[in-house]
Amino acid sequence: MKFISLVRVEFQKIRRSKILLILLAATFILWLPSVINADAHFHMQDIGITPENSFFIQGFMGMTWFISPAVMTVCTVLITQTERTSNGILKMLALPVNTAGLAMAKYVVLLALSALYFLLNTGAYYISAAIASATQSYDFLLAPGYVLEQAGYLFLSSLPMLAVFWLIAVCIRTPVFSVGIGLASIVPSVLFINTKIWFLYPMCYPFYVLTVEYGRLAENMADTQLKLVPWIPAAAIITIICLAAACLSFGRAERK
Amino acid sequence: MSLYTEFRKLKRTCFFPAFAAGGVLSAAFPVLNMAVRSELFTAINAPAIQILMENNWEMMVMLNLLLLITGACILYHIEYAENGIQKMQALPLREASLFFGKAALLVPAFALMAVIEAASLIFCGARWFNESAGTLISDAAASLGFAFLLTLPALILSLMISSLCQNMWTMLGIGVLCVFTASMLPADSFLASLFPYAMPFQILPGMETEQITRYCIAAAAETAVLGSAELIILKTRRLFA
Repeated sequence: MKFISLVRVEFQKIRRSKILLILLAATFILWLPSVINADAHFHMQDIGITPENSFFIQGFMGMTWFISPAVMTVCTVLITQTERTSNGILKMLALPVNTAGLAMAKYVVLLALSALYFLLNTGAYYISAAIASATQSYDFLLAPGYVLEQAGYLFLSSLPMLAVFWLIAVCIRTPVFSVGIGLASIVPSVLFINTKIWFLYPMCYPFYVLTVEYGRLAENMADTQLKLVPWIPAAAIITIICLAAACLSFGRAERK
Repeated sequence: MSLYTEFRKLKRTCFFPAFAAGGVLSAAFPVLNMAVRSELFTAINAPAIQILMENNWEMMVMLNLLLLITGACILYHIEYAENGIQKMQALPLREASLFFGKAALLVPAFALMAVIEAASLIFCGARWFNESAGTLISDAAASLGFAFLLTLPALILSLMISSLCQNMWTMLGIGVLCVFTASMLPADSFLASLFPYAMPFQILPGMETEQITRYCIAAAAETAVLGSAELIILKTRRLFA
């Protein structure tokens, strides 16, 4: 089978999974408080950030710090569990299909879900910014080019994290550990963004990228530069190792 | 008998090791925080446990809640995965006893975590603050005991959600959304802090006695209400299936 048709099959498997509802609910819960507390963004003088930038950063901050990694962990559970219930994985392994290709196809599905979530949030940002503009009589809307660019950067910086999550989901067969490690790994990212070795911890990349942007937009905050040199190579190495390990160990337990 | 069966079912799920590991991980937060920037905290003039709780509890409670959700999810997942629940329903057992058997396992697992966390707080207090061991132990025990009580509604609610969701990811998704909602709720409103997943974020040291009583009553009431709601749901669920 061609890789593209493998990916299509994977998408069909999750068609009835209601994951879209969870993604939508996560978006709704994230942006509703922003709309209700929109006036809080007018009191940011001591940080030196304009209300419209603050509205954008605070909303996306909530997403990158907790809910987006958490929802992605749930998505890895969805992808692995649809296969394991009723031993669907045995049928897939019986097909003349490259198992590494299968693992990569599933990773692509995970990427697509993540991209969809980022797009949903960008859309929700515009809807809630429009509502807040109407209620506060102040223009909260930022240029679409800028917002999409930032969302794109955040998505790209979350690729290594997704690779790690995918490796955890494939390698650790005990659900309590695979889920537990995935969810627990989110919490220390607040600590890691303040250290010098943040580039070794993929779960904090999106959060770090956004904090740097926050520092750039806010006049009174320390301006940190995003140093690409140790980061991009480290991220690339982590991603490649994780994906390779996931491809190698995918379906290994079932083939025994 | 039911409790022992439930315990045996968990044999290969690594349920208790996961909670022990989670406890160690969350106990590492205050230790790391103190090891890296102890001058910042020892300079504050307040009881040691209060300083430690105020600076670390938010992350620790986040871990606790996430692990509770995972644990609750596993407890019912082992039933739903191979249709084990149908066999349980065919037995001359009440479904409620299944639920409370599982709750009776989740409670000590969570207590284990709380004990490890309390030990870590006492260790930090003894290592970096000069306070007597007696005060430290009684403060830590009171704080974690309070936190334990306030987490019970979230525990029952997690288990309730997972008993209602056949798919593991639905339960996990709802649980994660609940924790996220709790972190988005306004911190200064008493009413908002009564949301089961928001209540564990409260810190005992420095709280007024009246407020403490209110939270204790609220936690007990919510646990009782959620428990009875689960009983009603289990009784009426088959009517709608």
